[in-house]
Amino acid sequence: MKKILALVLSLCMVFALVACGGGTTTEQPATPATPAAPATTTPATPATPAEPATPAAPQTTLTMWCIATESDANRPGYEKAIAEFEANHPDIKIEWEAFENESYKTKIKAAMRDPDTLPDIFFTWSGAFLGDFANAGTVYCLDEAYKPFSGQLPEVMLSNSTYGGKHYAVPLTYNIVALFANMDLLAQAGWDHVPQTYEDLTACCDALVAKGIVPFGCAGKETWCVTEYLEPIIEKTIGYEELNQIFAGQATWNDPAIATAVTTFQDMINKGYFDPNGMALGNDEVKANFIAGKTAFYQNGSWNCGEVNDQVANAQVALFPVMDASKATYGQVIGGPSDSLAVSAYSKQADVAAAAAFELGRGICHYCYLAGAGLPAWTPDYDTSEVKPLVSAVADIVAKSDGMVLFGDTAMSADPANTYLDYVSQVYGCQIDGAGFVAGLTADLG
Amino acid sequence: MKRMYSDKLHILIFLLPALILFCGVLIAPIGASAYYSLFNWDGLGPKAFIGLSNYKELFTSNSIGFLKALRNSLLLAGLSVFLQLPLALALALTLGRKIKGERLFLSVYFMPVLISTVVIGQLWLKIYNPDYGILNVFLRSVGLESWTKIWLGTKETALWAVFVPTLWQYVGYHMLLLYAGVKSVPVELREAAMLDGASDRQVNRYIVLPYIKPIIRISVIFAVTGSLKSFDLIYVLTNGGPLHATEVPSTLMISMLFLRNRYGMGSTIAVLLIVLCFGFALLISAIFREEE
Repeated sequence: MKKILALVLSLCMVFALVACGGGTTTEQPATPATPAAPATTTPATPATPAEPATPAAPQTTLTMWCIATESDANRPGYEKAIAEFEANHPDIKIEWEAFENESYKTKIKAAMRDPDTLPDIFFTWSGAFLGDFANAGTVYCLDEAYKPFSGQLPEVMLSNSTYGGKHYAVPLTYNIVALFANMDLLAQAGWDHVPQTYEDLTACCDALVAKGIVPFGCAGKETWCVTEYLEPIIEKTIGYEELNQIFAGQATWNDPAIATAVTTFQDMINKGYFDPNGMALGNDEVKANFIAGKTAFYQNGSWNCGEVNDQVANAQVALFPVMDASKATYGQVIGGPSDSLAVSAYSKQADVAAAAAFELGRGICHYCYLAGAGLPAWTPDYDTSEVKPLVSAVADIVAKSDGMVLFGDTAMSADPANTYLDYVSQVYGCQIDGAGFVAGLTADLG
Repeated sequence: MKRMYSDKLHILIFLLPALILFCGVLIAPIGASAYYSLFNWDGLGPKAFIGLSNYKELFTSNSIGFLKALRNSLLLAGLSVFLQLPLALALALTLGRKIKGERLFLSVYFMPVLISTVVIGQLWLKIYNPDYGILNVFLRSVGLESWTKIWLGTKETALWAVFVPTLWQYVGYHMLLLYAGVKSVPVELREAAMLDGASDRQVNRYIVLPYIKPIIRISVIFAVTGSLKSFDLIYVLTNGGPLHATEVPSTLMISMLFLRNRYGMGSTIAVLLIVLCFGFALLISAIFREEE
């Protein structure tokens, strides 16, 4: 008997140690994605925060999660927008927490399965990422809350977060993949402009390598950073329309031109254009290397414009050159409005949270735009004369753009997106070649 | 009193609160995991019953890579048993001889156990940094430039680079367990052996080790099950990368549950981890019983 008891206890102890990963149940939302009641708070003007005459103790507390950590370019924008919102609404207190990008994806998905842990307002990426939550009914419909703001936020900006004709998120900024260049380093290699053709780019990289300067840095530890290189190369090879269709599951990966694009990327790696240490580094470290003048180029989201503008003395921004002019043009870009705020369908004060999300979104957009952390999804109604030059340069590129492809890992739903990221990671590690990439993705995703 | 013990109703009433808590907190989640493992479910939408297909896919799919993750865990378990535990035992035997500074050494060796795993992870990330990390800096300074590596970024070295801090962190833990055992050996036994002319090595071999065998067994079980469950340090250092080189079942489970939204498959890995840990615990106990 003792042995059996000891056995059962041991079993339970071991089970308890390893079983934490599963076994939660999801309740139905109290207010499942029903349209919000009209906002109880009035929109405020971001540029002129009103000082409350008599400070009142907050009666409503809204919780919010986001990814604006201390090292994130959006952090100052969030801080200002939240402070301004609280000043304009002394009866509402925003309790917010910021989490690192990758771990946030895990956290928010875990919270979706235990809705009691969800905050009232949460940061999300639009596209399939939010679509999974919206389809499950865990996100509050914002159609009613949007009405008072429709004059300031063009409906087209909500297109990536609209499912079944209903709006589920407030876009903040929109971003594209941009090629940042340290012109001082390029000058050392004899270049006074950012190369506009692939031939020029390789010539420039060869000259940089000959001078002992590493052309590119890419964070292999965070695969989304690798897609910031690979996706533009694929897009500039096959065109934005086909890539959009592939990400939407409406076209096959089985296109030899994609294999050619992958080969181009790997040729660049094999020629020593990329920092060999990159495979072990995260994005913050790679960006720090670029800012410190250790690499000549850094291809990443345009949300980095502000930081690069302020910390690299002589920087310019451009796009990756066109590879096949018959299918792609220079102005076509990877990106779009993706960073957004959404409201939990389980929030006990969802209508207040929805109105707050729009006001916060407008404020965050305003301050992040001025700080150079993205382009405005909201129509600016404030002085933009102090917008940083690199942000203006990106805005010019976007203004001339005739096609956009949403980031692949945002456009695809979770499982195919991670399968895709797996293959991207293998490409960067040169474990598979272009043909292997195409064959693998065709077999797994179609 | 005797009557009360024989009254099954009383026993049930007294045990009930603890039993409910025990079942609710421990047993129910395990049952739920086993249940969810039979479904194709994204954790949010409707579930589709697929029987044992998740288990089949786990062992046959190359893209999931469960067998590779399991192999990595078993390799770590092997290193724990054949490298970490002997080292911990050597330290315990040495400190158990009442050497000078015994308390200080105990504290020093145990310190890594007390430090947060995330802090240890960050510390070793800095040590392994290919650019300014102390390891590569040291190798360069002694003229071994060719030995420098991208320790955590290369498939060939990442697994070993992750194992080193994992093993280092828990040497002190096992040392303390074994040290307690060594200290519990009756002094008269040691003295009797030494009066008979036994050397230190012989005392350890024939007196101490047989005496602390139950503790060694516990240490082995902890080391093996701990290796199978290893997660936090690997998550911080490499998150299973590069190219899944350091993937272990726990990181794979997190990836399935929260990155791929494959709740059924994640639950399947959780169930297999439970079975594996329990199976190894039984196996190790049986091996030790056999020896006895």
